[in-house]
Amino acid sequence: MMMSHREALLLPVSPWFIALSLLMSLLLSMLLGLSQALWIPDVLAVSIFFWGIHQPHRVGMATAFVLGLWMDVQNSSLLGQHALSYVLLSYFAFSMHRRLLWFPIKEQMLQIAPFFILAELIGLLIRLITGDDFPGWPMLLSPFIETLLWPVANYILLAPQRRAHDPDVNRPI
Amino acid sequence: MALDSLDRSPPPFFRVGFAPLTKLVFFSALSLLLVFCDKQLQYTKPLRAGLSTIILPVQWLVLQPGVALSAIGTYFQSLDQAQKNLKAAELKVLQQTVRSQQVEQLQIENQNLRLLMDLQFSIDVSSQTAEVLFDVPDLFNQRIVINRGQLKNVALGSPVIDAGGVVGQVTRVFPLTSEVTLLTDRDQSIPVLNSRTGARNITSGDVLAGLQMIELKFVPASADVKEGDLLTTSGIDGIYPAGLQVARISHIERRVDISFARIHASPLAELKGRHVLVLQPAAASTTNKGKTP
Repeated sequence: MMMSHREALLLPVSPWFIALSLLMSLLLSMLLGLSQALWIPDVLAVSIFFWGIHQPHRVGMATAFVLGLWMDVQNSSLLGQHALSYVLLSYFAFSMHRRLLWFPIKEQMLQIAPFFILAELIGLLIRLITGDDFPGWPMLLSPFIETLLWPVANYILLAPQRRAHDPDVNRPI
Repeated sequence: MALDSLDRSPPPFFRVGFAPLTKLVFFSALSLLLVFCDKQLQYTKPLRAGLSTIILPVQWLVLQPGVALSAIGTYFQSLDQAQKNLKAAELKVLQQTVRSQQVEQLQIENQNLRLLMDLQFSIDVSSQTAEVLFDVPDLFNQRIVINRGQLKNVALGSPVIDAGGVVGQVTRVFPLTSEVTLLTDRDQSIPVLNSRTGARNITSGDVLAGLQMIELKFVPASADVKEGDLLTTSGIDGIYPAGLQVARISHIERRVDISFARIHASPLAELKGRHVLVLQPAAASTTNKGKTP
């Protein structure tokens, strides 16, 4: 089983927690989006990428696509714009999920930053091609903030699995 | 033993579905197809309308923190401020009373004159108030979402105004909500009339020094335009009723090497207000009038 050398043994993940975390990040993304600031990070993208790394067979491209469509309708952007960038993120996550977790967290961040940047650029490119104006430079900050959110996601989303079960007579460890 | 009795499919543990690359190609192609259909062919309207109705309860939920915050803010607003607001409102009503009485008289006069000159009557447009739910989060354009939709007979293309003037136009109608493109959006154009000179122009949204403005297009550098000129809707497009205030010209730049002047105007509508008025498109109103004599 892959696992970073300094990571403790994890409990099995609950599918309900995955669903709940995706739902919460969806709500958070919708809420943060209302502020209309250009640099707002896409929390949902981080969640999708995170579960794509940790549970590649549970959260895959189909989930990413559906969530992307949801964000497209919420943001009233072109249908398929967020869907495409989330699907790409999910694919990249799958392609590196065996490798990434062997690295310490800072090196993980270095490795995933290009993918967040790429996902952002794909969305931007689609809009520029279809004839919209460039909204402003601060929007290029958001992939970096998303990368900075990676340790936070690690802390929060793995928390239920890090719980030590209470030892009793039959289970001493 | 017959060969076909051998089970050749992998045990369930090893079944992982399609190869990731296949899935990537499939979903990317689907996304790009959707983008293309959405931009070029308008096939995705029912899909978007359906999805937007599904996500509406969630949207409502997400809006609640903001609503609660503003409610708390209003609650703690000082009595002094409330009294000031009341006074200002009373003053405004008083001013408007004089004005509206004049309007009554002017309307009768106008009707008589039009009768004398055998011109078409100006039309009363039906309207309904709507509440602004939120600004559309998309970074690339400027739209707002209002809480009136198809079920309340909001028509595509309806003009939207507020206390200050024209806000924009309904560009997407869903069953319960609709989307209004603000007049400061780059793709939004309004035919206007310069109320001082009577010249007709077309505006489109523009950004000047970070401010959301509108720009007067295709005005010759030699044209008679001054800062402070009031722009109203000209009514020749069959959508906006004539005479709605749109903007006041705030910045004119004439350059020798370009034959057009660069003219910017600041919108008179509040644009960030809570309530707006949705009007029936003017042409629709006339046809309705024609049907029911």
